Amino acid sequence: MIRLFVRLILRPLRAEPVRTLLTVLSVALGVAVVLAIELASDAAAGSFRSSIETVAGEADYEATAVGGLDEQIYARLATLPIAIKVRPRIEDHAVLVDTKQSLPLIGLDLVAHALDRTSASPTVAAKGELILATASGHKAGDTVTLRVNDHDHQLVVRATVPSETSFAVVDIGTAQRLLNRPGKVDRLLIDAAESLEPALKKALPPGITLAPFGARTEENRKMLAGFRSNLVILSYIALVVGAFLIYNTISVSVVRRRNEIGILRAIGMTRSAVLTMFLAEAAIFGVTGILLGVPLGRLMAEGAVGAIGATVQNLYVSSQPGSIALSVAASLKAVLAGLVVTLAAAWAPAREAAAIAPVEAMARGRKDYDTGIRQYRDLMIAAGCALLAYLAALMPPIGRRPLFGYLAAALLVLSAALATPAFVHAATRLLRTLLRKLLGVEGLLASQSLDAALRRTSVLIAALITAVAMLVSVGIMVGSFRETVIQWIDSQLQADIFLRPAVPATADRFPTLSLGIAERVAALPMVAMVDQFRAYSIHFRGLPVTLGSGDANVVRQRGAFKLLEGDPDSAYQAMLNSDSAIVSEPFVNKHGVHVGDVLQLPLGEQIRAIRVVGVYTDYSNERGYIIMHRARLLRYLPDPAPSNLAVYLKPGAAIVPAQRAIEAALADARVLVLPNQTLRREAILIFDRTFAITYALELVAVFVAVVGVAGALLALVIDRRRELSLLRFLGAARYQIRKLILCEAGLIGLLATLGGVILGGVLSLVLVYVINKQSFGWSIQFHVPIAILISALTIIFTATLLAGLYPARVALSLNPIEVIHEE
Amino acid sequence: MKRLLFLLLIVANLSAQYRSALPGYRYVFPRDHFDHPEFQTEWWYYTGNLRDTQGRELGFELTFFRQAVDRTAPPATWAVRDVYLAHLALTDITGKQFFHAERLNRAGPGLAGVAESAGRIWNGNWQVKWMSATTMELQAIDPRFSLNLKLESRKPPVIHGENGVSQKAQGLGRASHYVSLTRLAVTGEVKLGDEVRSVTGQAWMDHEFFTHQLESEQVGWDWMSLQLNDGRELMVFQLRRRDGRVDPFSSGTLIERDGRTVRLSKIRMTPGRRWNGYPVEWTVEAAGLKLFVKTRLDQQELVSAQPQSPTYWEGAVAITGDATGVGYLEMTGYRGAVSFGQR
Repeated sequence: MIRLFVRLILRPLRAEPVRTLLTVLSVALGVAVVLAIELASDAAAGSFRSSIETVAGEADYEATAVGGLDEQIYARLATLPIAIKVRPRIEDHAVLVDTKQSLPLIGLDLVAHALDRTSASPTVAAKGELILATASGHKAGDTVTLRVNDHDHQLVVRATVPSETSFAVVDIGTAQRLLNRPGKVDRLLIDAAESLEPALKKALPPGITLAPFGARTEENRKMLAGFRSNLVILSYIALVVGAFLIYNTISVSVVRRRNEIGILRAIGMTRSAVLTMFLAEAAIFGVTGILLGVPLGRLMAEGAVGAIGATVQNLYVSSQPGSIALSVAASLKAVLAGLVVTLAAAWAPAREAAAIAPVEAMARGRKDYDTGIRQYRDLMIAAGCALLAYLAALMPPIGRRPLFGYLAAALLVLSAALATPAFVHAATRLLRTLLRKLLGVEGLLASQSLDAALRRTSVLIAALITAVAMLVSVGIMVGSFRETVIQWIDSQLQADIFLRPAVPATADRFPTLSLGIAERVAALPMVAMVDQFRAYSIHFRGLPVTLGSGDANVVRQRGAFKLLEGDPDSAYQAMLNSDSAIVSEPFVNKHGVHVGDVLQLPLGEQIRAIRVVGVYTDYSNERGYIIMHRARLLRYLPDPAPSNLAVYLKPGAAIVPAQRAIEAALADARVLVLPNQTLRREAILIFDRTFAITYALELVAVFVAVVGVAGALLALVIDRRRELSLLRFLGAARYQIRKLILCEAGLIGLLATLGGVILGGVLSLVLVYVINKQSFGWSIQFHVPIAILISALTIIFTATLLAGLYPARVALSLNPIEVIHEE
Repeated sequence: MKRLLFLLLIVANLSAQYRSALPGYRYVFPRDHFDHPEFQTEWWYYTGNLRDTQGRELGFELTFFRQAVDRTAPPATWAVRDVYLAHLALTDITGKQFFHAERLNRAGPGLAGVAESAGRIWNGNWQVKWMSATTMELQAIDPRFSLNLKLESRKPPVIHGENGVSQKAQGLGRASHYVSLTRLAVTGEVKLGDEVRSVTGQAWMDHEFFTHQLESEQVGWDWMSLQLNDGRELMVFQLRRRDGRVDPFSSGTLIERDGRTVRLSKIRMTPGRRWNGYPVEWTVEAAGLKLFVKTRLDQQELVSAQPQSPTYWEGAVAITGDATGVGYLEMTGYRGAVSFGQR
């Protein structure tokens, strides 16, 4: 059996190293991408628990409050006559000015809770010094400039703590001073038995949230689940494309060995042995591909983690990407996915091989590729799949996950694959005359040979169609999204100039401007109005949300006060005069809230009832916004420092001189003064960066497909060496043979592009209106980015054409005399 | 008098900023039971031998330290003007177990401190609360055990040394102000594990404040508070020198049944059996008595988890010989020399 396997399977593999290599490569890439995305999104999104946790320790509970907790509460809990341990923490971010490195700034009670591995803590507290992670590159004794919000501070590094990720630790008092939050701490970490929870709750004001430690991490995970599952599903596309190629390879292998199989069956080999043999061939591809794919995936994760990290920061939460850990679970998942996909893809051809009757194979006359193709039956099934896909697209999400949307997409891909033979058949027939006219006899021959080897070519084309369709559909979705966002920005960004601290801000991090800056800007002669916007990251029904406040008067007069739901006039009046808020569309979709509903929000130490009076469009983050009038929110959260300013100029005032004047007036503060145009460009840039990873995934899938085309054409050439040699004998010139092969490659590329555009168009509808809507809650206007798509498709077509070059060379290198002799 | 301390390797602190313990100090109670921030170092020690209703023998120690760090710091909430260290220990003599815990805080928003108006000396949820001029409540909570004790002083405060100072070395100011409550009747509860035990017993309070630190040739001390069953108490200490000899400034006080005190300068403390380097059995000759002092449990060493605070032995002892009784023994400087503040 082993010897048989070696002869029947291994030898042919060795005889065609390039083709074998290409198939292995396609599996390897598929596995690598799956693993890379898994690892990278784990590292980028999964490691909210910052390295400071490992240095400063964990706890049983954490108490938090919007706007911070009064430090008195720390002392109150610390002196409660129950067995608890309390540690206060302030968490924010700072920038090391010399290296422009943004890093978490952590304030701890360094007297009570000396940091592990450094005995200098109480001194650091007494002197207002700094402890840095070694990753920052500084040594003990250095003086560093730390930019916090819009101010620079000089601090002495008293000690360093070994850590791969960067962070800065200061005493709680120093943190309050740097961040200008006198009397406040962000969190209290509490060690206490579960039985003490009631006593703890009783000791805390009602607006303070007491949650098991790590609940926040859980919330973040929950929030990111949709984003992650979309990314993971996208990562499987390359593997699916690879599956088509495995199917193709094994089919070729079976067809070519019909005679041998027939003989073996005749001399007593069982069906299951035949089946096993071909599955084993697939397994060889699978296992080799996996062995290459795992290290490759680890490598690719390095590249992906930055891109995914950027997306997470822009849309959800600030987390420094952790280090990539090649976990057993992730590897196992990729390995399993690779094996299952390979074996599943090989199952049909292998079963067909097993079904070969000895008599049939022994019979003279070659029965060629077309066996087993039942176009009409497949077309009917395809139609059925499409119908099911349509129905699935109408279904609601399951637990905020568009599971039926995914199903619809999968059914559409299946439907397209089943319809491909009929499509290729019809298309080649239609194109025959045209090809003959344009490309001469080679064009005709090419189209006929595609049609003749339909079984094989259609699988190949289906693979390429899938890859192209994914590219097209995601391209359309992102393009539509981008266009929608651009329009939204145009209507939303009404102010002339924007100000914010010169430190990075993310979806949950809102550095503030010093007091007085707004007034200084407003006092400039060319300035008409200044809107102060303040944002807080809060928790609502177990999910993070952004609570913001702005001046409703300014927005009403100068900005965009348009509502999707609710009457703008009454909403505006309500915001001025009562505890009312407008909320963003993603917030509504996420929490099922409507105009008129009352939200119970923990503000400061109390819970406040806030009525929803309007819903507005927003694409800036997926967490959702609750916006109140500034003066109203200040009653409950009295910190007046704004996160950013929107400056409206007097009519006729030019922007550039105004920008200069503001910069000159604020020369002592570290602020960014951004004209409207700059902010607009920045927003688009952030958008493009956010979707960079999706494009990268698409490209890998297309690359796998093109590799597959090269491999399959090669097989086609080798199988048709008799025919090609015959053509040579009949007087075909070398250039004609090359042209023939390139025509076939081109035709494959053309058909795949055509089919891909059709399937992609349909898929994009599912993506825009079902999957995106259900998992993110964004309304996107449909828009086809024609220029981008045309250039992408041209590149793919050219790549397929180029993929024909090597097989063409092989075809030319065949010695016609030898080949004919073989026969 | 003596008693250990920490040596927070803190900030330069000039003892010149602080007041020295000089002869002629006039004690005023209850004021002088509370803090004296003009002195650099201050401590309050509560130690005692207890017995529960089932006859289980226990010992406890609850100690509050205050160490001035930086008086030039502005009086902001988180300024580190003083640090407060506290030690808590429970000896389960019958069960042969020893537990101890420590904590360090600054005053902060009320984390630790001394408040005369409220009669409180506290560090987190460990505290002493004066209920009247002669009674106080001790409360201390640890995840493994807790104390809730009521202490009633049966004798007036004892002022050790001469003319209000307990001299530690040759020279003016090289001394401390040292006051004790030598006979405190205890009732209350000790929670050990999940079991709450009603206890009664005898406790001792030491309160000492000073600016002078140990001389460089003094490496540590051995101190005892002995409560004799005849109604008398004895406090003795010796300072040990680097060369192995006993410092001449070692001394003691005998407290008569009626509270009168006798200063003892001729005392003899002879170490006996050792455990882990610490002499856990002693022969004490003072005030015409020869007493054998033996630990009630060998393992009563407080090993500090933090490099800032010292490791020392402090535990319950039993007395036999010319008189019987119970007491507490403290031994420092057996794991490296003791220092307060910066050396």
